[in-house]
Amino acid sequence: MKLSSLWLRAGLFTVATLAVALLGAWLLFGRGAIPIQTDLLAMLPGTEKDPLAEAAVQRLAHANGDRMVLLVSNADDDAAKAAARELGTALSADKTFSSVLAELPPFDLQQLVAPYLAHRFTLLSDADRATLAAPGFDPAQALSRHLNEPFASGVGTSLQDDPFGFLQHWLDQQPWSRSPLLPEDNLLTAHHDDKTYVMVTATLAGSSYDDAVQRDALATLDRAERAMVHDHPGTTLLRTGAVFYAAAARAGAEHDVHLVGWVSTIGIALLLLWSFRSPGPLLLAFLSTAVGVIAATTMTLLVFGQIYLLTLVFGAALLGEAVDYSIQYLTARANAGAQWEPRAGLRQVRVALLLALATSLLGYALLGIVPFPALRQMACFAMSGMLAACVSVFWLLPALLQRPSKPLSPVLVRVALAMQNAIARFGNGRRGWIIALLLLLLAVPGWWKLRHDDDVHLLIAPPPALDAQEVQIRTITGLGNGSQFYLVQGDSVEQTLQREEALEQRLQVLVQSGKMQDWVGLAGMVPSQQRQNADRALLAPWMSDATRMRKLLTDAGFRASAIDTYLAAWPGTPIDLQQWLTSPISTPFRHLWMGQNAHGYATLVLPQGQDDVAPLHAAAANLPGVQLVDKPASVSNLFGRYRSYASVWLLAALLLIVPVFGWRYGLRRAPRVLVPPVFGIGLTLAALGYLGQPLTLFHWMAMMLVLGVGANYAVFLLEGEPHVAHRPGAMYASVLLSAVTALLSFGLLALSSMPALRDFGLTLLLGIGCTALMVPASLPLRGAAR
Amino acid sequence: MRRMTAFVLCLLLSLGAGHAARAADADPNLLKSVLAGLGNHQSVRASFVQTRSNPALAQPQVSHGTLLFVLGRGMLWQTAQPYQETLALTGSHAARLDAQGELQPIRDARGVSQVSQMLQSLLAGKPDDVLRQFDVQASGAAEKWTLHFAPKQSRVARILSGIELDGDTFLEGIRIDMHDGAATDIRFSDTRDAGTLTAPEKSALGLP
Repeated sequence: MKLSSLWLRAGLFTVATLAVALLGAWLLFGRGAIPIQTDLLAMLPGTEKDPLAEAAVQRLAHANGDRMVLLVSNADDDAAKAAARELGTALSADKTFSSVLAELPPFDLQQLVAPYLAHRFTLLSDADRATLAAPGFDPAQALSRHLNEPFASGVGTSLQDDPFGFLQHWLDQQPWSRSPLLPEDNLLTAHHDDKTYVMVTATLAGSSYDDAVQRDALATLDRAERAMVHDHPGTTLLRTGAVFYAAAARAGAEHDVHLVGWVSTIGIALLLLWSFRSPGPLLLAFLSTAVGVIAATTMTLLVFGQIYLLTLVFGAALLGEAVDYSIQYLTARANAGAQWEPRAGLRQVRVALLLALATSLLGYALLGIVPFPALRQMACFAMSGMLAACVSVFWLLPALLQRPSKPLSPVLVRVALAMQNAIARFGNGRRGWIIALLLLLLAVPGWWKLRHDDDVHLLIAPPPALDAQEVQIRTITGLGNGSQFYLVQGDSVEQTLQREEALEQRLQVLVQSGKMQDWVGLAGMVPSQQRQNADRALLAPWMSDATRMRKLLTDAGFRASAIDTYLAAWPGTPIDLQQWLTSPISTPFRHLWMGQNAHGYATLVLPQGQDDVAPLHAAAANLPGVQLVDKPASVSNLFGRYRSYASVWLLAALLLIVPVFGWRYGLRRAPRVLVPPVFGIGLTLAALGYLGQPLTLFHWMAMMLVLGVGANYAVFLLEGEPHVAHRPGAMYASVLLSAVTALLSFGLLALSSMPALRDFGLTLLLGIGCTALMVPASLPLRGAAR
Repeated sequence: MRRMTAFVLCLLLSLGAGHAARAADADPNLLKSVLAGLGNHQSVRASFVQTRSNPALAQPQVSHGTLLFVLGRGMLWQTAQPYQETLALTGSHAARLDAQGELQPIRDARGVSQVSQMLQSLLAGKPDDVLRQFDVQASGAAEKWTLHFAPKQSRVARILSGIELDGDTFLEGIRIDMHDGAATDIRFSDTRDAGTLTAPEKSALGLP
């Protein structure tokens, strides 16, 4: 290869890189909002066999996605209400919010009864249905009881519309009648623990996941809150809503990226500056890494359209691995001294780099097999980044590294040589076997202590303060949690509602026995035609005999005119779902109706106040068309399944590497080359056991990388050693450089706010640390003892 | 949040629920002493006559029976005429005592239990809940007093015109007037300290 072709290749590579960078910049900034996904739900894998169930999960998550629910509280009732009004006014003055609800619009209580009057003979409460169906039902007695009920107030249905109170009882059973929030002074108020809580809801003018909307909304709320607390001391504000979770996730990820990105960049820079004793290599190493990051970002955006926060943080840590390729090339130059020739240098590191790239790609490809969007994206990001960084060493760096450089820092080489000799001496012969056995004995109790954990909170760990506020708001307002719900399906609207009724009958038993607080479902608000007809049939014997009913009511003291109106209303019309869905009263419940799909119709039923899923599962058992959708449990199951697969994969990956190494180093030596990563993994597992860290899928994924990276180190050392016979220790010094840069970046992930990345980081920290220390043991003794 | 919107909630068909007032003008000391006096009686028995009139009714409905009120626990409302029934109103719960003496919870008794709760907290000398919803005017003297409750919430005030309590050392009567002409009048007589409670009474009120 001529020198000019070196420049030509570098030129082409630069042009290609610039094109990719431009494409990436356009994908990132040129299409409106920055495509960084702060919706953590989006990272979760599709777990439900039924696509409709998956759709329902999304629907519930977003039903309240663009709304803030705020609860203003104060021990003083007036202060709480005044504060809530002030907050409402402050928020509605801001254009960040499309609507704010604090003060209720004026309306008449009686107005809300009127729409139901036409359906009064087809709507019966459970208790009335049972009473009417029981043998020996005495209407005169029922009438008398209703008329003489103590403290009955007469707010609600009027006596002449509803002499027996049947409609009243049915209305009392409706979710809006059961809410702990009551309108007081035109505000939705609850009293709890001697405090007054007032609810204010604010709907965002945009998406909760839009960066600009998030910032504006939180800033406005913050200002309004400060003013409110200043004007009404002692007021506190509880908040919940997707926007807070998204903002917290974004802030956490930004913090992580800054920490991992900057600390590792500065750390790596100082390390390289010290080792190579010149700024040039440092700049080139970063150039190569930057090429990797640009390619990775562009590729990820091309494939996925957006970047998850997890990928962003992981990407920052990947710098430490991508820099390895250039480090190997740069150390080859440093070690070559005056004899340096860029093309010869390239030939010297080629096998090592390609082997290293192959093992890394293999490791990440295995990561990409797991059907989690988040892991796939991490794999895609890593593979394209590593590939680009490696190619840049082959195509870009030779042209820029024509002149020889200073040798590596002598201190580094001396330390490396001392370590290498000590470790190699202990790692060979009978002593090696004894030490291996001792390490094994040390590790066994650690393995014994290993437990595992598959909780969904590995991926989604909202700040505890936000969670606590949500729980508090749920307790005070009686709102559901939304993470478990029933999906009810049927061939027709009627069948769907009937199936829901069958489910709700069981749920009602749970409520009555105190095992559940409540539930919300459409069939409770719009019964099936079958049930409505049955209800009307229960009333028919009494209502259709007008003479007898007239006598009954007259005897009870009703005026003739009132009786006439009541009798004329019989039989009325059943309430119809589609019609009801267009009424204003259905607004808060409309999202429960999933409507028509290819297979029929579907509705959702939300259980409340029961976090244990066993009774919820039992309630759905053997009911046709009814399933409990429990997204967190499904995700945990999937985590668990893949965690158990992961150990098998690790073994498979190991077996895949054996023939590659066998081909290069001979079957007798291959096992010795594999000793460092295998021991690294074993000792890491033991250390995790001793640390009491339950194993997660992410620990196993990191092990896969330890294997890949650890094998790289052995390869670097074995491949490089023959070329540095004149500078003993120089090759191990370059391996140590690689290891320390990896530790600096991956190890910092152990400080991440995301549990998954924390697990990942800690495993890599331990694994890469152990492996790097043991790598000299893979050298044949004669090389080290000299 | 799914279960509510503002207006929907307001459907709230009870007495505006748990409401009363800033001790208004009148004599704040009188209200205080009346409440203190009522709170002196740990448990009280009385006979009641409830008269309910309504525009739909040609003549008022009358029922009578006995009442056992236990401070901090609730009350047993025992109707003897025109039918026999015992209701246990404790805190936010309402239950019917069936023929076997077992308590059967009444699920949809929010309205009833809220009014009884309000009465309970008022009689227990803790009028805050009530004062939030009503303006209270006290008149008369400690030995013969009247408390008038006017709803503060305009939604409720459009329906409920007022509640009046009167009494001496004990509560003697409750009158609830609605704007549509409906009214409930409860008179208590033979009011006395309850003495020892029977075992069924204790169990119905959830007392040890």
